Amino acid sequence: MKYCCLKCNKCWNHPVETCIFCGKSVTPAQETQYQVIGTSEVFVPSTGNEKVPYFVNILEDLHGHKKIEKSFKMYQIGDIIDVEHEEVQKEQIGIIGSGLLGSQLASYFIQQGYPTVLKTRTEISATKAFSKIHKLIAKKMSDAETESILQHLIITTDYSGLADCDIIIEAVVEDLDIKRDIFQTLSKVCKPSAILATNSSSLSITELANATDRPEKCIGMHFFNPVHRMDLVEIVIGELTSDATKSASINIVTALNKKPIVVKNSTGYVVNRLLLPQINEAILLLEEGIASKEDIDSAIKLGLNHPMGPFQLADFIGLDICLSILNTLFENFNEPKYQPTQLLQDMVSNNKLGMKSGEGFYKYI
Amino acid sequence: MFINGIGRTKFGSLTKNLPELTYEAMVNAIKDSPLNITDIDAIFVSNFLGGPLNGQLHFNSIIASLLPSLNIPIVRIETACASSSVALNQALNSLVKTPNIMIVGVEKMTGMHLISPTDAIAMAGDYKNDFEQGLIFPAAYALIAQQYMSKYGISHEVLEQVSYINHKNAKLNPLAHFYHKDVTMEMIRKSPMVASPLNLFDCSPLSDGASAIIISNTKQSDRDVKILSSHIATDTISLTQRDNLTSFNATKIASMKVYKDTGITPNMVDILEVHDCFTISELIALEDLGFCNPGEAPELIENGSVLPGGENPVNTDGGLKANGHPIGATGLAQIYEIVTQLRGEAGKRQISDPEIGLTQNIGGIGGTCGITLLERV
Repeated sequence: MKYCCLKCNKCWNHPVETCIFCGKSVTPAQETQYQVIGTSEVFVPSTGNEKVPYFVNILEDLHGHKKIEKSFKMYQIGDIIDVEHEEVQKEQIGIIGSGLLGSQLASYFIQQGYPTVLKTRTEISATKAFSKIHKLIAKKMSDAETESILQHLIITTDYSGLADCDIIIEAVVEDLDIKRDIFQTLSKVCKPSAILATNSSSLSITELANATDRPEKCIGMHFFNPVHRMDLVEIVIGELTSDATKSASINIVTALNKKPIVVKNSTGYVVNRLLLPQINEAILLLEEGIASKEDIDSAIKLGLNHPMGPFQLADFIGLDICLSILNTLFENFNEPKYQPTQLLQDMVSNNKLGMKSGEGFYKYI
Repeated sequence: MFINGIGRTKFGSLTKNLPELTYEAMVNAIKDSPLNITDIDAIFVSNFLGGPLNGQLHFNSIIASLLPSLNIPIVRIETACASSSVALNQALNSLVKTPNIMIVGVEKMTGMHLISPTDAIAMAGDYKNDFEQGLIFPAAYALIAQQYMSKYGISHEVLEQVSYINHKNAKLNPLAHFYHKDVTMEMIRKSPMVASPLNLFDCSPLSDGASAIIISNTKQSDRDVKILSSHIATDTISLTQRDNLTSFNATKIASMKVYKDTGITPNMVDILEVHDCFTISELIALEDLGFCNPGEAPELIENGSVLPGGENPVNTDGGLKANGHPIGATGLAQIYEIVTQLRGEAGKRQISDPEIGLTQNIGGIGGTCGITLLERV
């Protein structure tokens, strides 16, 4: 994509906003057709281009704007390439819930240029969410950029504000009944083509879908905290989720520069089903006095190359959340390996919840 | 010799890449100046880690790509953290031949890099003698801090004060890296150790950002600021070759030359920007620049002299600690702050009626130093 000043007849390869020659704003120049004016077959690998041979082509559009494009297909000089260069109309996103994940999601989507409607319960939480999102963005941007990004954000306390959204991601508390109510409401207010997604980390998509008028359009999109750093999204497929809904969800996650993985609806999906038994087992090791928590953390970090040990991670997630996911796993699979340890239950009832309460397995200031 | 235009980006962990940051600062400087980009005869660009972090060298040609068909001379200057004050110094030497010069400094330190920033920054030290023994940058300053603390019998508390004051100043600077962060003494005290005795709040952050200024050999407008003098000096880089570990010779020599050039003495300076890449280095700067005797800098911190309302306001923009330290842009950001203050355009952080300002910008552990003295016209 080129960015051109029509007055000065100058173009940039970067999305510059202002022409430094005349001070006028710069417009993106879009092209759909390029002609191959040169091509070379490359036999020497380099970082990011390990697979050889490949072709590197120089292309030119009708205005004489050139660009370099790699391909594995061979072109002849003079070939015409049609590139889908029309700016893709970005989907409108709805987010329900302004908790930790909800506000991070809203902040991430607007930074990626998606018009986003955030639905909160009260005016007070709307104000809080706005200042939280403002702060998240202002850390990285100038005031002018922050303002322009915040233009993408609408905060509402009314479900009808979600009527035009293409994808709605629900990120409220992990409670099946509350989520079912929300999904029921959504099927009344959202347009028929809208995809209804949940950010649930372990609940059944199929059960949520059954509360709506469109189970084929219901899906799980499980993002991880912190959203801007964690690249994985679990795409969870319910019994009736359609292929179209699945591929639309994969496309949007890919467009967000994240890695989608596809998981059949099953309690805990992949990540939590692997993680929580590990945390539970680590607590058992501690209870049995086999090793200290510091040494168990070191074992996982240095022996398995995880960035955090199970106790550090459990404190970060929140011990109440760990307990609730373990309970869900235990209830659904009814296998002793998922049964929460006594120590975990005791800590949660003593309000030792991890980082957020100031103390979990470790103490925090 | 006059500065007639200044521009910068916000500092912090930013989404823009290296050329985009550079362009934004250049556009802002041109908007601020009465000159047009086509009036510029040459550009000096300062950048430290474009090669190891961003995979981008031959950076002068990238600047040329941002200014299609201008085809003017452009040169990159690299002297680690002192790159941009040295670029300014070299540009001043060229003003005789080329009447209008832009100097732009930039660094992109967050996000994807080819090697770790700690390894890359260590390239400013003596690789063979020091780095191979694990002397990363914070460790070098830690050794200096330890020497200083035992020599003058001070505790870490003074360094905590330096950090606190700089963060407080940054809260008044919307472009600062930590503009949005409320920092308490408690947070500073309890922050994790980086290299003892220095903890996290003794260290400047990894920042992205760019700053640019335009200089001319004739006055362009009443908003111009006069460059009274600019000098650079160098010194051995390895601590093993230094006699005195609590002072930087390069700062002393370059500042002496500036004072000698102009007849200005430290007591005539109304505002200064010093290179507090680590809190200890602010203390050493105040002493090397002659604002107090060796060992007396902690008094200037404790008696409030360095505060915006004090006798010698220091780092009103938040300093490297809290305004941020995008290495190649830092020296020019210091100039940006002094020019803003001398013009009386610093808004909430404006100090009362300054006439003369000084900047001190060092590279490595004092291997290079650039001093610039500016005056209101």
